[in-house]
This record gives sequence, structure tokens and C-alpha cells, in this order.
Amino acid sequence: MLALICVVTVVVVLLAVLVAGLLRSHADILRALHDLGAGVGDPTGGSVHDHASHDHAAQPVPVPLHMGPPLPGERNASSAPDLVGVSPEGDAVAIGVTGVDRLTLLAFLSSGCATCAEFWASLQDPVSSGFPPDLRVVAVTKGPEFEIPSEVARRAGGRIAVVMSTESWGDYEVPGSPFFVLIDGRAGRRIGEGVANRADQIADLVRRAWDEERPPGQSGSTSRAAAVGLDGKEREARNDQELQSVGILPGDPSLYPERHEDLFATTSSPSPMNASGPDSTKDQTGTQGR
Amino acid sequence: MTTLSAHGISARLPSGFEGRIFQRSAVGGEVARPVAHFATFPLPADVADFGAGAVNLMAPQDIFSVLFEYGPESLGTALFARNGMPRQLTGQDFSTITLRRGIPSQSGTQWFFTESGRPFTLYVVLGNHAQRASLVPRVNALLGNVDVAQVGSAVP
Repeated sequence: MLALICVVTVVVVLLAVLVAGLLRSHADILRALHDLGAGVGDPTGGSVHDHASHDHAAQPVPVPLHMGPPLPGERNASSAPDLVGVSPEGDAVAIGVTGVDRLTLLAFLSSGCATCAEFWASLQDPVSSGFPPDLRVVAVTKGPEFEIPSEVARRAGGRIAVVMSTESWGDYEVPGSPFFVLIDGRAGRRIGEGVANRADQIADLVRRAWDEERPPGQSGSTSRAAAVGLDGKEREARNDQELQSVGILPGDPSLYPERHEDLFATTSSPSPMNASGPDSTKDQTGTQGR
Repeated sequence: MTTLSAHGISARLPSGFEGRIFQRSAVGGEVARPVAHFATFPLPADVADFGAGAVNLMAPQDIFSVLFEYGPESLGTALFARNGMPRQLTGQDFSTITLRRGIPSQSGTQWFFTESGRPFTLYVVLGNHAQRASLVPRVNALLGNVDVAQVGSAVP
């Protein structure tokens, strides 16, 4: 019995010490919070402690809390830091997006996201996907610590410039993939950013920005086909289609003018010969040839 | 300035420049050495060591530069006797015949040297020789910000 009483007494003493320690620790925490201006109690009341030496700290101070990606109003949405990272092959890579005379589209993608798959495919040939010519497209994935480089290389197919850089995702405050940022290299700032589900949505937005940023005649090509993003085979196919729509088929004599005037018949002085003579077919060619 | 570092080569890139530092996979018994490419235009994914596949894409106002390291057997040879990378080039250093791949209107310069105990060659191409007065200062801005660490030092 005596032993039991002794054991209980010891236990009670130990618990008392423990509780006292906890209370003291709690008091220290409250004191520290109060010194930071986040104390509990009446916020308008005076301090019960002597804070003469901490008057400057006694005022409430805002404590920033970040949960999830920053809201639009909190984003630094105009800066355009250069990209630094590695390629899927492991090369150290840096790409300058400012101080250059071009628009750059950054496509923040990942190798695993299902929505990104279409963009990996579409960006293999940006012009065919409706993007303006001379637009530079760079795919930015997170670094090798979050991605599998060989998988990124497979997605890129050797045709898309890729920078693997977790730092760039932070620099551009990317909320998730896919995410797109359009940069005007001349102005040195972002001129657009956002998400999309399809490549044509991005291409349309980029084209509008392109048209706004580039006055007529500064695109490097003044042709209509180039202006709508057609070149190479697409341009040839479109020309063929337009000629066929007006009845000019392969081998048509109008495609082989014999005289210089045949090419510009519509702008030459009207004459009975041009209007109804044997060269009238060639006059048509001049019109279609534009 | 953006800093690009790898294989003991570090470059703080002036505005408008981009770069890549790499080391090719060794084939057969060869030993691959670090190569650095710097350019004012988008570098394609697959560029040969001395710029084939890239110099043909240059506009008149563009610059392409290569820093190519040789093996230690080159140390002490007459070709690499120059100590230190040239940092201040002049327009007279460039010639339209100093080109690995002769493209009209382009010009180039090539230097062999030893820096930090490592033998290198520097090869620079200007998009248009007639614009060298404005392009060479940009080249010098780049070269002034390239550092080479000794082999085995702590710099990556």
C-alpha cells in the first residue's frame, strides 16, 4: 500500500512538472506572438507587459499567407525573364526572350498531362497548326527532378526547342500545365498568358497579338499566303485550289504566258483584243495570278 | 544577365543572346570535350560543333560564337601558345575568308589559346561583315562575360 502511494505521488509530481513546463512554453509562444503584433485578447487594449523597448513591434503587422498559385491580381504578369535550364539531352541551355526582335511563345507543358499531348503534337510544326511564321515556340517543362528527360525528348521529337527548368516555372508563376505565355522580345515584356485546351485557340490569340505588334509590311513577307501563315506545301496547295476553283487546271495555256502584257492584262489599257480576242483567257490568268 | 554554366564554362549572357554548353557522347575511342555555342538567333536542336546547321540561319545582324575545348595533349603546343581568351576583338580581326562554311557576306575569326590550363579555340561568325562596327562590340560584351574554370575546380 505504501509503495502504491509512493508511486502515485511520484507520478503526480511528474505530471505537475510536465504541465508547468507546457504552460510556460505556451506563455512564451503567446508572448512572442504578442510582440509580433498577433497577440490574442483585446486588440485595442494596452499591453499588460512592459514593451517599452518593443513599441515598434507592438503594432499589428500583416502576415502574408500563400495557399496555392497567386491570384491574377497578385501576379507579376509583365516581366519576361530569360530561360535557363537543361535540354532533355542534358545540355545546359539558356534562351533569351527579350532583347530580340521577335515574338516568343512559351508553352509550359509536362510529359504526363493528357491535355498537353495535343500541344506536343501541334507544336512540332507551328505554321501548319496556324501559328504565325517567325514566331519562336519554346516548350518549358519542369526540371529533371520532376520530369523524365527521355519522355520529354520523345514528346518533343527533336523538332521543338525544349528547356527543362523548374526555376522558369517559378519565374513565370505557372499555375499548372498546359500554360502559355507570349512575349514581345522588342518590348521586353509579356503581352499575353493563359490556358487553352486546343492549339487553334492559342494560335488565334497569338495571331491577334502578332497583327497588333507587327505593323503591315514588317512581317518579313508581304504575300497573302505568308500573312495567313501558309508556306511551302500548304501555300502551293492553296494556290492550286484557288486556280482550280476558277477553272484553271494543270496544263492550262494561261499558266504559260507568252508575253509580258499577258501577266498584267487587267491593268493595261483596254482594247478590243484584250476584251474579247484570243488572249482573253490569258487576261483571266492575270487576274487570278494577283 | 542570365548565367549559363556547365563543364567548367560559365557565361553571363548579354541581352539578346542565348547559349548551349554540351559535351557530345563519345564515339569509339574518342574522348568528347565540352563545346559552348552562343548566338543571337534561335539555335536549332542539332548544331555541329562549329556551327553547321546554324550559320545558314543567321540574319545580317546576328552573331554566332563557339568555344571548343581540345584535349590535354594540345597543351604546350605552339598552336595554343596564346595565354587567355581574346576579350576585345576589333573589326579587323574578322575576315570573309575565315569561315568554316563560306556564306556570302558573313565573316569570321578564329583564335587558339589556353585558358585556366585548358586548350580552346574561339570561333566567331558575324552575319554581315559590313555591319562589323556594330556587331563586334556585342561580341566583346559576350566574351567579357565568359569564364573558364580550371579542370577539377568547384565551378560546375
